[in-house]
Amino acid sequence: MSSYWPWWAGAVGLALVTIVYTLITDRSFGVSSAWDRVLHWRRERRLEQMDEEFGDDRALAEALAAATAEHFGPAPGAFPPPQAPYGAAQPPSPRVEPVADGDLPVTGRRPAPLVTQAALLVSIFLGGLVAALVSGRFQLRYDMGPGFRDLVTADQPTMIALLFLGGILVGFGTRLAGGCSSGHGLSGCGRLQPVSIVATAVFFGTAVAVSFLLWKVI
Amino acid sequence: MRTRGAILLANILTGLALGFTVTNIGFGDYAELNRMFTFQDLRMFLAFAGAVVIIVCVFALLRVRRTPGRIHAGVIPGAVLFGTGWAISGGCPAIPIIQVASGYLPAVVTILGIALGMRLCRWAGSRYFPLDSGSCGM
Repeated sequence: MSSYWPWWAGAVGLALVTIVYTLITDRSFGVSSAWDRVLHWRRERRLEQMDEEFGDDRALAEALAAATAEHFGPAPGAFPPPQAPYGAAQPPSPRVEPVADGDLPVTGRRPAPLVTQAALLVSIFLGGLVAALVSGRFQLRYDMGPGFRDLVTADQPTMIALLFLGGILVGFGTRLAGGCSSGHGLSGCGRLQPVSIVATAVFFGTAVAVSFLLWKVI
Repeated sequence: MRTRGAILLANILTGLALGFTVTNIGFGDYAELNRMFTFQDLRMFLAFAGAVVIIVCVFALLRVRRTPGRIHAGVIPGAVLFGTGWAISGGCPAIPIIQVASGYLPAVVTILGIALGMRLCRWAGSRYFPLDSGSCGM
């Protein structure tokens, strides 16, 4: 497998992708969240429209609060910040959470626009396609390669069933954990966020255990 | 700097670069992935860990702030499910996309599974276990 990049090139590549994204967009980057929002595009688009409508109200409320504070001095706790519609529209899962140090985060106030996240997924496909074509590894095939055949199953229907089941676990698990290998693993661990370090350790550890089972036992 | 156009451009460039990089590292290759998880070959593991080290250093230098997110009750069970699914199917949410792009057509099934799993999570989450959605992409 000498045709793959050496480890340091991969490390620099992944780091550059994450850092440049963060600097340009001022947001944390995660593929599972992009998937999630694109899959629920109807609801997300409604939320975006609400957000735009409420945007003016919020600006007005903030300006009023600031002007009042200027006149009468800041009253601690007297003016709760106007609630963002994203938080209000989702009672079971408030996206805008106060952080532990009491500082409002610059990143993560609002998710990236829906259309940009759809563009992210399409671009991942195109980037992968270019890489596969350039390296000469592109090959249309109806299996998942010799590795999957040897380690998991050579039987076509079993393969399809396992891929589907694995996909469900990935989809459900990443959303339950609030992130995947890019959101928790790269962006979150890069910020040394406890939740991301725990999540990354657990999903990596589990994957190691299951992979050993597949390799040695099954 | 953070207009809609800039964010769109950033997402397109990030997607292209991520797809290109991840494919060239070999994350779409199930045999390579299993060799990473069983520590037979540390190349991909070092690529990932090396990236985290670089990002930690650069974010610390640039004083990039943390995003909201606490260790809620869904983190550990979710990560266990995700790790299991990743080891079986070879797909974290970006990987089946580049697998299809490399010609592995059955990875479409993995994508369908991910789509169903995510919908199930939102459905079940709103009914049975109200949790916050964590840090990914926020």
